[in-house]
Amino acid sequence: MDHFERQLARMMRDAEQHSPFEPRHQDRLRAGVRARRRVRLAQKAVGSVLAVAGLSLGLFLIPDTPTRTEPGAPLPRPVSSPSSSPGTDPTPDLTPTAPPSSPTGSLPPSDTADPSDTFGPSDTADPSDTADPSDTADPTGTADPTGSATPTFTDGASTTTFPETYAPESSGTP
Amino acid sequence: MDQARAGEFDEFVAARWSVLLHLARLLTGGDRHRAEDLVQESLVKLWFVWPRIADEAPEAYVRTVLVRAAARSARRRWWGERPVEQVPETAAAGDVSAAVAERSRLEAALGRLPAKQRAAVVLRYYQDLTERQVAEALGCPLGTARSHAARGVARLRQLLADVIEPVG
Repeated sequence: MDHFERQLARMMRDAEQHSPFEPRHQDRLRAGVRARRRVRLAQKAVGSVLAVAGLSLGLFLIPDTPTRTEPGAPLPRPVSSPSSSPGTDPTPDLTPTAPPSSPTGSLPPSDTADPSDTFGPSDTADPSDTADPSDTADPTGTADPTGSATPTFTDGASTTTFPETYAPESSGTP
Repeated sequence: MDQARAGEFDEFVAARWSVLLHLARLLTGGDRHRAEDLVQESLVKLWFVWPRIADEAPEAYVRTVLVRAAARSARRRWWGERPVEQVPETAAAGDVSAAVAERSRLEAALGRLPAKQRAAVVLRYYQDLTERQVAEALGCPLGTARSHAARGVARLRQLLADVIEPVG
């Protein structure tokens, strides 16, 4: 620190005047604190309102998005219909392969009924699993030649039950 | 803030008011009204953080707030003042004391410095802060603070050449 810098520091200190903290200063300080507190409260309130509005808007817009979640695989289809291709014909085919003369409803050898098929949402028919030709349908599940098939087939260990809504459509010839 | 803390705050303000006001006056180049505004603004900010920093370094906090507020206010275009060719309140020799005249010269010279240079010089030579502390208060790198102080002092050497005669 050279001479000039020392003199500069001295001048700055000598220029200091004693200024007491007067009541008017205190009143002004209190007023400033109150004003700032009000400003902070207002900012908090505005922030909360904006946050709630943003969340509401977001929740309102989310259900309108075009993307929807759908199951990746088509609904399971009855496996007793070998002629229907999956995904092209929504109506199940119950009786075309059952000869009208066979009231027992025995399945043809080409049927690919999976004994473990329980019609769950993720179940798919195993093409390699061929039904035993000796399998016979439950006598209670006799196929009606007129198409009003009773939708119950007993296949070994499992019982395959078709929903009632499929019955009217099974009467038609594909 | 509870009563005890509020009492501590009032004591701090009463004890440091004069120093803070003089610091603000130097930072504003002698503008007394603006200096009071800056001190009030800084103390209001201090009030809201007082419970956290009362036991640490409240004066350093106020100083930093004051310096940054002074630099910010210097950037504003309009302060209700109009620039003139010559300062009308030039102290006349004989009707004021030498101390007042010297102070007026100092404040006028400081007022001609850029805000950052002025702040660096005041913190360095009036507050006796180290260069690192000056840099922290200004919120800039150490080299920048050093540069501000050096340029400010060089400019003051020119402005105050007739007040502070070189030795030898």
